[in-house]
Amino acid sequence: MAKQNIKKKPVDFIIFISVLTLVFIGIIMVYSASWPEGMVRYGDGSHYARRHIQWALVGIVGMVLMMNIEYRIWKKLSVPIYIAAIILALLIFTPMGVEIKGARRWIDLGFTTFMPSDAVKLGSIVFFAAFLDNKKERVRKLFDGTFPAFLLIVLSAAVVYIQRDLSTTATVAGTMFVMFFIAGMWLPIIGVIIAGTGIFAKYAIFSEGNEYRQRRILAFLDPFEDKLGDGWQIVQSLYAMGSGGLLGVGLGQSRQKFFYIPESYNDFIFSIIGEELGLIGTMFVLLLYAMIIWRGYVVALNAKDAFGSYLATGITSLLAIQTFINIGVVTSSIPVTGITLPLISFGGTSLVIYLAGLGILMNISRTSNSDRRKVNENNN
Amino acid sequence: MHRINKSTRKRLKFAIFVVTLIVFFLGYRLIRVQVIEGSEYRRGAMQQWTKAINLKSDRGVIYDRKGRKLAVNVTSFTAWASPSDVNNPEETALKLGPILKIDSTKIYENLTKESSVVKLKQWITREEAEMVRELDLEGISIVDDSKRYYPFGNFASYVLGFTDIDNNGLYGIEKVYDEYLTGVPGVWVKATDRDNRQLPYGGEKIYNPEDGTSVVLTIDETIQGFAEEAAEETLIKNQAKSVSIIVMDPNTGEVLALANKPDYDPNNPRMSLDENVNTQWESLTFDEQQQKWYELWRNYAINDIYEPGSTFKIVTAAAALEEASANLNTHYYCNGFIRDIPGVVLRCSSWYDPHGDQDFSTAFSNSCNVAFVNMARDLGKEKMFEYIKAFGFGEVTGIDLLGEQKGIIPSGTESIREVNLATLSYGHGIAVTPIQMINAISVIGNGGNLMTPYIVKSLLDSDSRIIESYEPENKRQVISKTTSEELLDMLELTVLEGTGRRAYVPGYRVGGKTGTAQKIIDGRYVDGKYISSFGGLAPVDDSKIAVLVIVDEPTGIYYGGTVAGPAAASVIEKTLNYLEVPRKYTEDELEATKETVIVPDVRNLSINSAGKELTDLDLRYTTEYEDFNIDTLVLDQYPSPGVEVIKGSIIDLYLEDGSNNPVLSTEELNDSN
Repeated sequence: MAKQNIKKKPVDFIIFISVLTLVFIGIIMVYSASWPEGMVRYGDGSHYARRHIQWALVGIVGMVLMMNIEYRIWKKLSVPIYIAAIILALLIFTPMGVEIKGARRWIDLGFTTFMPSDAVKLGSIVFFAAFLDNKKERVRKLFDGTFPAFLLIVLSAAVVYIQRDLSTTATVAGTMFVMFFIAGMWLPIIGVIIAGTGIFAKYAIFSEGNEYRQRRILAFLDPFEDKLGDGWQIVQSLYAMGSGGLLGVGLGQSRQKFFYIPESYNDFIFSIIGEELGLIGTMFVLLLYAMIIWRGYVVALNAKDAFGSYLATGITSLLAIQTFINIGVVTSSIPVTGITLPLISFGGTSLVIYLAGLGILMNISRTSNSDRRKVNENNN
Repeated sequence: MHRINKSTRKRLKFAIFVVTLIVFFLGYRLIRVQVIEGSEYRRGAMQQWTKAINLKSDRGVIYDRKGRKLAVNVTSFTAWASPSDVNNPEETALKLGPILKIDSTKIYENLTKESSVVKLKQWITREEAEMVRELDLEGISIVDDSKRYYPFGNFASYVLGFTDIDNNGLYGIEKVYDEYLTGVPGVWVKATDRDNRQLPYGGEKIYNPEDGTSVVLTIDETIQGFAEEAAEETLIKNQAKSVSIIVMDPNTGEVLALANKPDYDPNNPRMSLDENVNTQWESLTFDEQQQKWYELWRNYAINDIYEPGSTFKIVTAAAALEEASANLNTHYYCNGFIRDIPGVVLRCSSWYDPHGDQDFSTAFSNSCNVAFVNMARDLGKEKMFEYIKAFGFGEVTGIDLLGEQKGIIPSGTESIREVNLATLSYGHGIAVTPIQMINAISVIGNGGNLMTPYIVKSLLDSDSRIIESYEPENKRQVISKTTSEELLDMLELTVLEGTGRRAYVPGYRVGGKTGTAQKIIDGRYVDGKYISSFGGLAPVDDSKIAVLVIVDEPTGIYYGGTVAGPAAASVIEKTLNYLEVPRKYTEDELEATKETVIVPDVRNLSINSAGKELTDLDLRYTTEYEDFNIDTLVLDQYPSPGVEVIKGSIIDLYLEDGSNNPVLSTEELNDSN
């Protein structure tokens, strides 16, 4: 009975349409923002856009595939997926690892480079959802639930952190924490987490070799103090956002993308959206993310089983946290940290992994009870 | 299947609540950044996109009165580097070093500087520029530039002045008329990317530069050339410290030539023209060097004062005739001395052979001090002072050059004591600038008017249309036409028969007055240092030019007539010829050119017998102004014995040194200031 019901239900339409819209906006904006750099470096303004479209197509195929794969299979495959993700992450320390712009975050697969931290994100979510589902009510227990959960969070975070990628570390740890919280974490643990985060943050910011993080915080507090140095990125982002104003300077008309904003098709693509499409554009994009996030949590609420709920929570939270950090950075609401805007920024691995994750989320939505009556029935 | 429990539901709803808060917060941030603070950021962004590129305006040309170019602009090239674009600084430096003729390590330093652009070398030649361009080095560019060029080199340097490396006028006309010459620079406003490439959007604006106004001088390049040449010759012949020659149109006050020697080349004002001097300067500190430069750039003709000596007698004579305290029939008796001033004895230059009785004109051409002291006494110190001022002494002439001095005259009649009045009459105890003196001499030449000397005739716009022209300015009538004519006759007599014989030019009626004064340094007369001068007008029946020659510290002979006279004669002769003033030879002149005589040997004779011997042979001689007596021996003579000369020629006699009695004590000099 259940199985037939499941097969018949369509995917969550709002999520589906929002995701496609964002991917579409991403293609347009990557084309616009990368045009100057493409011209200067390759003599081809569409160089980046063409690669981005290829990845978007791969990602959408993957997403449709995931939409149609019964999500419960991921629980069975969770252990190998997690182990594979961690091995991939460690591959960067082998000769296959590629260093780009001073950070060792890529591995060379021959035909393309691959960012394993994206795989760790999804792998961790899948594995952690399975873990939490297995523990059931025992997640509240200290030795049986909390300690192992923390161990996993720390393990995933550590794998990302060793790639000197603090923002992704925070995204992964944050996502897993939200999942743990949803699964029934004993509330006083929050105190421990806050303390733990504090200690970690202090280490990450004030330890030797990480002075750049201190400077970024100072630059955040007053970006114009050193606008040609540490404050450069924030100031340039604000210049772009401010130039856009309410209506924007028009699609393709950004001036800031002409090397004032470094790699404007990447971490700071939202600034270019702000400049070209104005507040209308940025609000619309923010709204699309909000819709996905809201529907994502609703999917989690209505999932048939706890694994589906935890998995939906994880995927949604990952998107939410990364999006919020990115928009927080470009609006100078938090210190600068290098993180891409999901679904929009240029970057093949990230786009494909996100689309795959959202495909899983939409598969979960097919099995959920989207109307309240059924929810009540389940409770009975 | 493990189902979702209540707590999970609650916590998911809480998560939705938190996410909603965050979305609202980010939405607020967007509104704040894009709309509320948006215009502020937009302004910052506009500033960084907009690059204003200055478009230089061409500096105006400086012409002489006939339209010949004395200062022009030539295209020049400047090598620039933008260090961030230089790929390989070592290699680039090694390649550029030999072409730009700069040490490669120095270039390397520039190429590794933390700045967006660095000037490597300004004003490189076209060949050098092309060689650099051919190398096609990343981050190195050649920019066309405009450079000031003075085609005649060290010619009229003190009139023209020069500019700095950015074409700002620093001295001379370049400085005084800088505002006109500069023009209005233009601006090219364009939007660029971070690497200064122009953005592919419109909105650039060009404000065209307005070229500078050209300046036409009153200077005549040809006459200036005569003056330069004469000054140079005089400088060398007399081994003098410096020589200044000014030529002026007495009727208008237009300066036709103004030359100082030694001078400098305005193309390269920081180098002396003497290589030895340059070597010496290299070892100096920067401050000391600067001191030397300022000295080199001083326009003595305007900026320096000197004691005029006998040339000033023109003023005394003019005042006396004008005020009728004397007339041409007034006789003066010279016994060689003025003894009636308590504590001081003043001597006539010819005290060993007193002039005796002389009428006004003879006294003038004899340059008899005793006569002039008496003339001034008859005039009275009030009138004397009045005329000193009326002739423009003690005030700037108003010429359009920088740093003009006022000179030093008595502060008022009450400070003129008896001895001061006496010495003032023959130009002692007063300090004037050369330009004041020639301006005063011009009064005699133009019928009695004091003009404002000027050096810029007109201003031309970039299409050579006159936009402003300067007219002669008559400050005041100082003496009557009659008086000026009487003086002209006396000036001519001085040249024909008196101390100014060296300035005589056959065929032209030259009038003039010599002057010799001991130099005053720090308020004290200095032994052996003199300023010799000659001021004159020609032709006296219709004065076309006034000439003043000043020789500072001649070595050996220092009589104004001998030292400065020939230079004046040369300038007058060439200039009048150039101005196509016809020569009119007198019969005597025609006669004199035919008869010659052999110069006798008068060396080791006393001045008395030497003079007699020369006069008997129809030769004239000059000794002028020295302390000697009848028995003083002639040490040397010029021309040498045995040379054949035209009758009436002048023989210079060099006498043994007499005693040096100060004419004025220091105290008295200070009083007279």
